[in-house]
Amino acid sequence: MSTFFEYLQSSAVGQLISGSDHLVGAAVQIVHIAGIILLLTAVVLVALRLLGLGLREQSLAEVETLARPFLWAGLVATVISGTLFFISTATIYAPKGALQIKLVLLVLAIALQFGLVRRLVNHPASKALTTGGAIASLVLWFGVGLAGRAIGFT
Amino acid sequence: MSSILQIAQALQGSSFGTAIAESTIVFPLIEGVHLLGLALSFGLLLIVDLRLLGLVLRQVPAAKVHDQLRSWIFAGFALTIVSGILLFLAEAADVVFNYAFIAHALFIVVGLANAAFFETRLAPRAAEWGESLKLPAAARLAGAVSLSSWIVVVISGRLVPYLA
Repeated sequence: MSTFFEYLQSSAVGQLISGSDHLVGAAVQIVHIAGIILLLTAVVLVALRLLGLGLREQSLAEVETLARPFLWAGLVATVISGTLFFISTATIYAPKGALQIKLVLLVLAIALQFGLVRRLVNHPASKALTTGGAIASLVLWFGVGLAGRAIGFT
Repeated sequence: MSSILQIAQALQGSSFGTAIAESTIVFPLIEGVHLLGLALSFGLLLIVDLRLLGLVLRQVPAAKVHDQLRSWIFAGFALTIVSGILLFLAEAADVVFNYAFIAHALFIVVGLANAAFFETRLAPRAAEWGESLKLPAAARLAGAVSLSSWIVVVISGRLVPYLA
């Protein structure tokens, strides 16, 4: 596995970022943060609506339609910029616990968002399931963010 | 100039500033809150701004969008601003003359001034806008100023460690 990370890091893409001006790294960081804001905004909009705490005069479907482009734009921006970071620093970051936790939480968050949350929007369910799903999505997505923030400090 | 630096050094050197800066848990946690709180503050404000510009939720009156999100946006900004002040206390002397930080602080003032103008002058008349899709020029301008100033705030904030 570590040979694979070494290969990634020494690849053309890996060298492109780590070998260039640190402002290229800063630009990738800005894409990442913009993606985080868009993604979390979409998650918050849908969760608040499911909880009956925000935009409750709009239908669930209306809020989901509003949030969907933000969710996708955020996912694409964060995953692409995050992958670029990872490729350029794979050998250092791959063994980090915070990154591993982040990736597990990310997979769970995506599964919950496209499994349960989307279903709750289209098919009304019991209040307990709706509330639980909304809170779980907030906890998981903000958990991804916090774990991500912890990577640089570990 | 030197007095600004002295104040910044005093803040950073204070026991409170030092305690935050030296904590391996509190400092990253405050940074996490500062970043993730943006989803509530800037993120939900983005929805209001885009509605003012007529780009999202066009079927819903702008005032209705704003009224339903206002308290969350205020709570989000409270989180973001308080965590930002704590981060500043921990790093005041290191960042006070950093160009990215100066832009960050400057555009926060622009964003807040625009928000205050909107809340006191424009929002009270929002009922008159009714169901119309296209809002008065002043409201659209306030949305555009808000959107662009907060985008600059986020970008300059992220650039602080890069221009140190």
